[in-house]
Amino acid sequence: MLEVSGLTRRFGDMVAVDDVSFPVPSGGLTGFVGGNGAGKTTTMRMIMGVLAAHAGTVSWQGHQVTREDRRRFGYMPEERGLYPKQPILDQLVYLARLRGMSTADARQEITALLERFGLGARTKDPLEKLSLGNQQRVQIIAALVPAPMALILDEPFSGLDPDAIDAMADLLREHARDGVPVVFSSHQLDLVDRLCDRLVVMARGRVVTQGTGEELRADAALRYRLVLDGDAGWVRDLPGLHVRDVAGPEAEIEVVSPGAEQKLLVEATSRGSVLDFHRVVPRLSEIYREVTA
Amino acid sequence: MTTRKPQSQPVWQIVARREITVRATDKSTLIGTAVMLAVIVGVLGFTAWSESREKTYDLAYSSSASQAMIEGIAGRAGDIDEKVSVEPVEVADDDAARQALEEEQVDAYLRETSDGWTLVSLDEADSDLRDVVDQAIQEIVLAGNAQAAGSSADELTAGSQVTFDQIEGDSELSAIRWIVGYALAIVFYFASIMFGMTLANSVVEEKQSRIVEMIAAAVPLRELLAGKIIGNAVIAVGQMLIYVAVGLIGLSLTDFSFALPALSGAIGWFVVFFLIGFVVLSTLWAVAGALASRTEDLQSSSTPITMLLMVMFFGALYLDGTGEVIGSYIPPLSAVLMPMRLVDGTAAWWEPIIAVVLLLAFGVALVRLAERLYSRALLQTGGQLSLKAAWRLEE
Repeated sequence: MLEVSGLTRRFGDMVAVDDVSFPVPSGGLTGFVGGNGAGKTTTMRMIMGVLAAHAGTVSWQGHQVTREDRRRFGYMPEERGLYPKQPILDQLVYLARLRGMSTADARQEITALLERFGLGARTKDPLEKLSLGNQQRVQIIAALVPAPMALILDEPFSGLDPDAIDAMADLLREHARDGVPVVFSSHQLDLVDRLCDRLVVMARGRVVTQGTGEELRADAALRYRLVLDGDAGWVRDLPGLHVRDVAGPEAEIEVVSPGAEQKLLVEATSRGSVLDFHRVVPRLSEIYREVTA
Repeated sequence: MTTRKPQSQPVWQIVARREITVRATDKSTLIGTAVMLAVIVGVLGFTAWSESREKTYDLAYSSSASQAMIEGIAGRAGDIDEKVSVEPVEVADDDAARQALEEEQVDAYLRETSDGWTLVSLDEADSDLRDVVDQAIQEIVLAGNAQAAGSSADELTAGSQVTFDQIEGDSELSAIRWIVGYALAIVFYFASIMFGMTLANSVVEEKQSRIVEMIAAAVPLRELLAGKIIGNAVIAVGQMLIYVAVGLIGLSLTDFSFALPALSGAIGWFVVFFLIGFVVLSTLWAVAGALASRTEDLQSSSTPITMLLMVMFFGALYLDGTGEVIGSYIPPLSAVLMPMRLVDGTAAWWEPIIAVVLLLAFGVALVRLAERLYSRALLQTGGQLSLKAAWRLEE
């Protein structure tokens, strides 16, 4: 397990990352969400040691992470690229060698991955001769060799076409299934919702909420939707409820004092017929908007 | 997940190897090297060829007196300059001679005047021809005059021979020392600019293509810097060795070959100073690359170092006397001036040793400074950084 605790980084007077702590458990995908400037990239750079932390620690399997550990972490920086003029196999082997692999092992592993990504015939082509989508695939391979102990990916889905997004998602799931802790940042909340076991939400340099999808939803206030045969404006007068929205016969309410929803239902049936009354499960994007608001 | 035993090869070696392979297989490098070699071979070949070439000059005459004189010159030409021979050609008169000169049918026209002889040529006559004609006529006239006076040329010139002897070296070697000294300064200057610019470009390429963050996550930037500088130096020295080897082989085929043994010690020192000076300056070029964000910024971020190189180069050209002695100890100026003094033969044996120690100390300090600037500036991709801003950055 990879664990971040108390990470802090300032740039001048600005605190970019403030006391950030979260675990990245093995065998699951952890999604890292937040707006631009929330501190995700700075946090990931500190995890990789590219940027020094002013406070806090990153630990790997219970000990303070070392440079040797980090050499075996697969990393995809937000600002990424490769040598435009060097053949793709050569530069992937070079990067793998920098991360401690022998040339023979690197060649073997990289050739297999290039074939899997449909680039087996293009190993000698310089990167710039490849389409943008294929360049992204080469970039992904760069993070996957040598077989990573952990994956730290900053916006791995940005710039990918729908097919590549699916392939990337499969790849991440595959690594998570093999016991590799995976953390990735993304702006695509629905994708994060679909893929991730855990979520860390950052805003203005701090973690505003984190947990599994269910935990986040459980934390959110209970929400009900009510549809009547007449105007629903009267729900505003009931105590213990927060009315999110009323439009004609429809209303969406949040329970402030437990049990208030039962009183609402009794009141509603006494006034006429109730066409619909159900619990609303908020979407992740809604929770996100609430916690970062 | 598989476990492997960690490899033993240090990171800087992996980096240096990539630098060398990429550069050695780069088309523009290969073409540049081939062109440079062709120039060296061409210049030396031309020198050797023009030295060994025998020349026959056609000399025109329009009177029997000048015919006799030209035949006399032809008889003596081989003794005066073995590569020159003279062929008499008859013309009708001065006008015909002028026409023959303009049509380049003859090389020169010899005419008797009231007080001697005139050699007429279209433009300036070859110095070889002038020397032969001048000396031969003097000998012939002197012999004739002597005979008329009942004496001989040898008697008349007895005791007038002056020979020149210099205690230190000889004059021809001094001239060669001067030329070789400046040639070395020029080689240093151009090698530093050319290879320095290549290094700065390869640093900014890593920054511009954004690969540097992946590298920074895997290895210490100090080792990346070391690998790049060493790889670049290997390429530079390799290329220089090829040039120098071809140049020396070529030189040994010319008349200047006698100078080689006297200069070999100084050239050996030049290699030492070149290497240290080159590596020291390379770190500055790497910083210039790291301060830029795009290749376009390189021109301005490398201005301080090109200025420094200009100072070194013109210092080497214009400093002499005490200034040269002092400059030959001050790094990085010493990297050029001390080898030049050694070639000149004005430095004692211990002087280069002190200069090397000073240069090394300066180099170590500079490398540390450069390392800090390099590793801080390298991850800043938003536009060009000033030196001051880079120094203030935190890791």
